[in-house]
Amino acid sequence: MTRDTPLETDGGDPRADGSGTAVADSAAQTDSSDESLLDSSFDVEDRSHASEDTDAIVEARDIDVYYGDEQALQSVDVAIPEKRVTAMIGPSGCGKSTFLRSINRMNDLIDAARVEGELLFDGKNVYDDDVDPVALRRKIGMVFQSPNPFPKSIYDNVAYGLEVQGKTDDVDEKVHRALERAALLDEVEDQLDESGLELSGGQQQRLCIARAIAPDPEVLLMDEPASALDPVATSKVEDLIEELAEDYTVVIVTHNMQQAARISDKTAVFLTGGELVEFDDTAKIFENPESQRVEDYITGKFG
Amino acid sequence: MATTDESTGSWFGADGQVSQVRGLLFKLSCLGATLLALGLVLVFLLYVFNDAVQPLTADTGWLLTFVVTLVLPAVAVGVYYYTRDTRAGEVAYTALGLPVATTLLAGGVVITFEHIVSPHAWFALALSATVAFGLVELHARTRTAGALERLAVVVLVPLLALVGVPGIAVDFPVETPLLGQELFRLSFAIPELVPSLREVILALPVLPTAAISLLLTFTLPIAAAAAWHVRRVRESDRDGAIAGGATIVAAGLGLVAAPLVDLSATTWVVLATVVALPVGLYVESVVRRDVGVSGLAFPVVVAAGALIGAFLVDALGFAGPDLWLDWDFLTSPASTTPRDAGIYPALVGSVMMLVVVAVAAFPVGVGAAVYLEEYAPNDGLLGSIVDLIEINIANLAGVPSVVYGVLGLTLFVRTAGMQSGIVMVGGLTIGLLILPIVIVSAQEAIRGVPDSLRQASYGMGATKWQTVRNVVLPRALPGIMTGTILAFGRAIGETAPLLMIGAAAVVRIPPDTFFSLFSAMPRQIFAWSKEIETEFRYGVLAAGVVTLLIVMLMMNASAILVRNKYQRQN
Ligand SMILES: Nc1ncnc2c1ncn2[C@@H]1O[C@H](COP(=O)(O)OP(=O)(O)O)[C@@H](O)[C@H]1O
Ligand SMILES: [Mg+2]
Repeated sequence: MTRDTPLETDGGDPRADGSGTAVADSAAQTDSSDESLLDSSFDVEDRSHASEDTDAIVEARDIDVYYGDEQALQSVDVAIPEKRVTAMIGPSGCGKSTFLRSINRMNDLIDAARVEGELLFDGKNVYDDDVDPVALRRKIGMVFQSPNPFPKSIYDNVAYGLEVQGKTDDVDEKVHRALERAALLDEVEDQLDESGLELSGGQQQRLCIARAIAPDPEVLLMDEPASALDPVATSKVEDLIEELAEDYTVVIVTHNMQQAARISDKTAVFLTGGELVEFDDTAKIFENPESQRVEDYITGKFG
Repeated sequence: MATTDESTGSWFGADGQVSQVRGLLFKLSCLGATLLALGLVLVFLLYVFNDAVQPLTADTGWLLTFVVTLVLPAVAVGVYYYTRDTRAGEVAYTALGLPVATTLLAGGVVITFEHIVSPHAWFALALSATVAFGLVELHARTRTAGALERLAVVVLVPLLALVGVPGIAVDFPVETPLLGQELFRLSFAIPELVPSLREVILALPVLPTAAISLLLTFTLPIAAAAAWHVRRVRESDRDGAIAGGATIVAAGLGLVAAPLVDLSATTWVVLATVVALPVGLYVESVVRRDVGVSGLAFPVVVAAGALIGAFLVDALGFAGPDLWLDWDFLTSPASTTPRDAGIYPALVGSVMMLVVVAVAAFPVGVGAAVYLEEYAPNDGLLGSIVDLIEINIANLAGVPSVVYGVLGLTLFVRTAGMQSGIVMVGGLTIGLLILPIVIVSAQEAIRGVPDSLRQASYGMGATKWQTVRNVVLPRALPGIMTGTILAFGRAIGETAPLLMIGAAAVVRIPPDTFFSLFSAMPRQIFAWSKEIETEFRYGVLAAGVVTLLIVMLMMNASAILVRNKYQRQN
């Protein structure tokens, strides 16, 4: 990922890992044209509805996450607005995935992980004793970094959430609708009985998105959903995310700053050490960030 | 680096500066070890096979006839496939192997229906299981019930259908712990309250004949599966219906036609279902793919050659070889005269024992593996204890089989009070022996399920149980099956535990229940090895060994088939 021609780099970076160092490497080149870059290189879309603020549906209050003795997140405070796209950016290992997993309590599955603080979903702390993480995950869907369809038919993949959640009415219709919303129906309409593993990588990821939205969750968490995809597939997934934001709250982790700028309404910037440095409207973050460190990170002068 | 060798000025190694000698020696010794191992096994197999079949006792004319009618044409066709059409060669290989393997399998099924579950018992079992399953499904479809009610229905309905409410008889002395003085005796008996649906069906005044029972409850489901398969691969409802219908007609024909060819109607039904159907499906798949169709000629050439050869030697009066391993050997009981001796009761004993082994070891082994992999704690004190247990299970797999024999004797005969030498004790003991192998291989298969799939499932709001049932187990099943079948292959050859638990050396009638005295093939072979007459120790013994090896080979082959099918899917 080179920072000097950001506008032309349309697709995502297929190599997700190590982009933090790539950014650092290219910092020298962008040094001279610092100011202009900040103004022109990010194509922040004017998302008209973004200006009207909606209520927060997910609210993190002073969240700390530890893996054993190591602290991965340090007192994070975020209020994620309903039916908007919120992007999480930051260098590798700064805790973006960890934060995402603490929203739907997937961290519970990691023995070493420990979460402290309050995380409110619809006003209820999800770490309260009376919250069943399974019930929580039925409200909050998740799409992972690499496509992970089940070794089942395409149909069964999409119907899986409906089945495990006991939503057995109109399964056919819901499966078709989810595939349609995920912009996959046309491509797989007559091979619904075939294995989901036979699809291409980009199709698999859209299948995973269809699977996640079929049970109609309220929030959709996406952890670098396009990082393993080629540029064409990436732009399809991006279009899809913008569509989805009409009905769902989308929280997306990405390494790709153009992507964040293009599709999100709000952006949270994490920096090394698990610190949430800045959280604001995407336009603000990319055009006029408050923190010098965020500006350095966004312009590639990472430090 | 680009520094040239100063003494010669050449870098390309022709002057021997790069020594290959040690590498060459190493390679040759590895090759030698391979050849030695393979050679020894091959020589042994040929030796036993020669003893069992004695090809050289045949008339020269007999041998020549078969060389001309069978061997030469088969070799010629084989060479053609090899040089011209390798895909047809693959087809030929399967097309010949499939009927042979399925016929052996059919033999196993016939034995099962003859000795283990009678066709009527099977009929009642299958029918009541279907009814139970239907009721459970109906309940799930029509009522949105809570988990507890679901559980009650899922447990009680099958129980009532298959077992009923059994009578209970308790006769238990309550004693003081140390001195063993009897305080009082707990003794009561409740007669059977509700007979199961299965028993009700069995007690009906009119039941279909054995052959019709099998047709309805054995052939019908398999034909339905075949129809479904054909419908899917050919994408045609009509073809699926034809496949299913043809299977039932072919099997049903046996009701009238079986006596004409001197078979029992049940045997015909089994043969049609277990042999004709798979062969038909295979032929269909080859023709449909239209690759190597000429390979289908191979089994025809072989069969025709065998028939013509048999006809010719009969007409010309040549005597065949003096077989030890022949149909009579497989179907007659033990005898004191080598010529009459057979392995049938031991064969049935082995199969019945294997049923006990499978029913006992498979669920327990897989259950333990699922617990250890999916549920057991990983860290802290409990985690260390679990680690310790896992290490010990792996160690148990290496414990000598004699020790398991002693364990079985103590556990099942001395402690549980079962009679020694019965099928149940043998099966449980050997089940114990292969249990660690089943656990370890199932654990391996479960560990092979990528974590991303579990994450995906949990992320969809699935519970642990739903994840294990819908994602982990289906994905791990082929691996579990492969490991388990290989373990069964080991189980069927075990001898020492059978000696320890007192399996009979010689039985004349096959066991008719799981609580009858029995002998198994390895036990029988061991008995023959100690007979005084040399014919027992060479001919009969060799025939027994070859039979055992063929059964094992089939089990291993099916394990390999399962594995290959699974690997192709990934
Ligand atoms: N399962 C885990 N066990 C222990 N440490 C972890 C685990 N997952 C992540 N970490 C640590 O937590 C930190 C944040 O990781 P992560 O949330 O994956 O970062 P990001 O997604 O931003 O790249 C890293 O230092 C990483 O090493
Ligand atoms: Mg990450």
